Amino acid sequence: MTDLLKELCAADGTSGDEAAVRQLIISKLTATDVTYRVDPLGNLLVEKKGREQAKNRVMFAAHMDEVGFVARYIDKTGFIKLSAVGGINDDVCFGRRVRFGNGVRGVIGGKPVHLLRGKDEADKQPKLTDLWCDTGVSTKEDLQVALGDTAVFDNDAAEFGEHAFCGKAVDDRLGCAILIGLLNSELPYGITCAFTTQEEIGTRGATTAAFTLKPDIAVVLETTTACDIPDTKGAEQITRLGEGVVVSFADGRTVYDRELYAYTRRLADKLSIPNQTKTKIAGGNDAGVIQESASGVKVIALSAPCRYLHTPSCVVNLDDFTATKRLACALAEELPVYG
Amino acid sequence: MNISELLKSLCEADNPADIAANQLRLLGSDVDIDPLGSVCGTFFSGEDKPTLLLDAHIDEIGLVVTYIDENGFVKPGKRGGVDTRTLPASAVTIHGSENIRGVVCTQPPHVKKDTGKSVSLDDLFIDTGYSKAELEKRVSLGDFITPDVSFVRLTGNVYTGKAIDDRAGVVAVLYAMYLLKEKHIKYNLRVCFSVMEETGGAGATVAAFRSKADFAVAVDVSFGKCPATSEEETAPLGSGVMLGRSPVLDAALFSEMKATCEREQIPFNVEVMSGKTGTNADDINKSRGGIRTALLSIPIRNMHTAVEVADVTDIENTARCIAAFIEG
Repeated sequence: MTDLLKELCAADGTSGDEAAVRQLIISKLTATDVTYRVDPLGNLLVEKKGREQAKNRVMFAAHMDEVGFVARYIDKTGFIKLSAVGGINDDVCFGRRVRFGNGVRGVIGGKPVHLLRGKDEADKQPKLTDLWCDTGVSTKEDLQVALGDTAVFDNDAAEFGEHAFCGKAVDDRLGCAILIGLLNSELPYGITCAFTTQEEIGTRGATTAAFTLKPDIAVVLETTTACDIPDTKGAEQITRLGEGVVVSFADGRTVYDRELYAYTRRLADKLSIPNQTKTKIAGGNDAGVIQESASGVKVIALSAPCRYLHTPSCVVNLDDFTATKRLACALAEELPVYG
Repeated sequence: MNISELLKSLCEADNPADIAANQLRLLGSDVDIDPLGSVCGTFFSGEDKPTLLLDAHIDEIGLVVTYIDENGFVKPGKRGGVDTRTLPASAVTIHGSENIRGVVCTQPPHVKKDTGKSVSLDDLFIDTGYSKAELEKRVSLGDFITPDVSFVRLTGNVYTGKAIDDRAGVVAVLYAMYLLKEKHIKYNLRVCFSVMEETGGAGATVAAFRSKADFAVAVDVSFGKCPATSEEETAPLGSGVMLGRSPVLDAALFSEMKATCEREQIPFNVEVMSGKTGTNADDINKSRGGIRTALLSIPIRNMHTAVEVADVTDIENTARCIAAFIEG
C-alpha cells in the first residue's frame, strides 16, 4: 500500500492536467468486475459490480489533482513568472525546485538575502509574484517551457520517521490509493468510484462526476489539515497525526449528513478503528459540490490527517492511512440503507 | 577531471573535506588537516620561491539542533547566514548517528494568517516523524542540519544544488591544480580548503597564519544576475570569472589577474566592493605582517538557499585564470 502511494505521488498532475495520474490509476485496476470511462472534465468514473446490487447507489470519490504552478509570463532572458494552481502559501515557494511536464527542471529564486536593503525589505516575505522560476537558460529562445505549461514540486515521496510518510501530492493520492484498493478487492455490493479532477481550484471535477454517477450516498476519501505542530495549540491543531481517521461533521464548505456521520463513527468504534473529528471548522473538499448535486446526496468524508498540506512535504502517519482505508472498506461492506 | 561530477559529489557529500583531501592527493599534493579541520595541501614545496596561498571554503551554511521538544520536534539554530525566508516546508537532513529526514514545520494555507512578514528562525521547528524518545536515540543537541536536496542539471552547463557556495570555489582550485600538473611554476603553492567561513572566517585566519604565504588568492562565489537583482550588483551566469576590486584587496595583484585574463582570453567581469569583501580574503590579507590578496568569484544565483544555481563554465574559467596566473 505504501509502495502504491509512493508511485501515485511520483506522478504529476496539477489541476486540469491530471492525465498522467489517470493513466497510472487505470493501469492499477486489476479486478474483472470493473468498467470505466473518462468524462469531458477528465474524471475517471469506475463502476464495480460487486456480488450484488446495493439498495442505494454509493459513490466513493478521491481527487487526482495536486497543487502546483503554471507559467504565466516569460521575460527576455528566459525567466518564468509562475502562478499557483490551488492554494499555495507564498512562504513555501521561495527556494523550491519544480519540474514541468516535459521534464524541464526549474528553481524558484529571488533576491539573495545579502542584497536586501533596509529593514523594510528584510522583514518582508517575498510573494510568488516577486520570485522567478529559473531553468538555467539565458534567453527566451532557449527556454523549453511555454506559457500555460504546468509544474509541480520536484520532490520524492517516501517513508519518514517512525510510521510516517512525506512528500508532494499526498493530498489526495492517498485517497486514490484507497479507492484503487477498494476496486481491486472483492466487495459484497456494487459501488461507483470517481477519481476527480480540479479539486484544488474549486472542486470542479466532482461537480460533473456526481451529476453523471447520480449517487444516493457519497464517501469522499481525503487528506485533511493537521496542525499539531509546536506553537499551535488545542482546537487550532484541527486534527492530530496518529489519532486515527478523521470523520468530519462539518468543514468550511459542507455540513455532513448527521445520520451518516453518526453511523460512520459508530462503525469505526465497533471495529476498533481509531477515529477523530476536526476541532475547527476549516477546509473543504469535493463533498460540498457532491452534496448539492442533482436531487441531493448524503455525504461523508473520511480523511487521513496531514501536516503541511499544499507544500512539497506533506506528512501523514501510516497508521492513520491504514485506519482510513479500513473504515472505507468497512463502509463499502456495511453500507447504510436509506429510503 | 570532470567539473560538474566533482561539484556534484562535493555538494551532496556528508564529508566534503575527505573528498577534497583525496582529490589533492590524486593531484600529487601532501595533505594535512589543521587543528580547526581545514584541509591543506602543499605543491611544489622546497625551492626558494615565494609562497602563494589558494583558499576556498569547504563549509556550507546550515542549521544546528538546539532543542528537542516533548513531541520530538527539533528547534534549529543558525550556522551561518541561512536565508530563513526559504525554510518553511523545506526538506532537511539532520546529521545524527544516522542521517534523519526532516521537514521545516509550517501552517497550511487553510489555517495560516498571512502577515506578509518574513519568517523568523525563532518561529520554526523541524518535524522528523519521530517521537522524542526515538529521535534522541539518533539525534543529539549540536548535530548539524543541511538542506535535503540533490545536485542536478537544469540546462546545458547550468546546475542547481545546495552548498555550491563555496564547493564551486573548491572545484575551481582543484581544477587549476589539475591544469598545472607537471608544469614548472614560479611559486611554492599552499592550498587551503578552509572551514568556518560562514561563521566568521576562523578557518582562513588560522590557515593563512600557518601558510606564511607571500601572496594569496581567495576563491568564493558572488551574486549572479537574475530578474530580481540589478545589473550593477551582479554578473550574468556564464560570463566568466569575477575579479574583485576593493580597498582590502591588493591593487597590483588585481591588475595582474586582469592582464592574465586579457592575455589568455578568459572572460571576466570586475566586481567592485567599497570595503570588506565578505569573504576569507578579509581575514587572509591581515594575517601575520600582511598578505597581498586577490579575490576571484564565481557568480551564482540564490546564494544561501537550497537552490543555488551556477554555470560550470564560470568555474572552469576561474580555474584557467588561477592556473594562467600561477604559470605566469
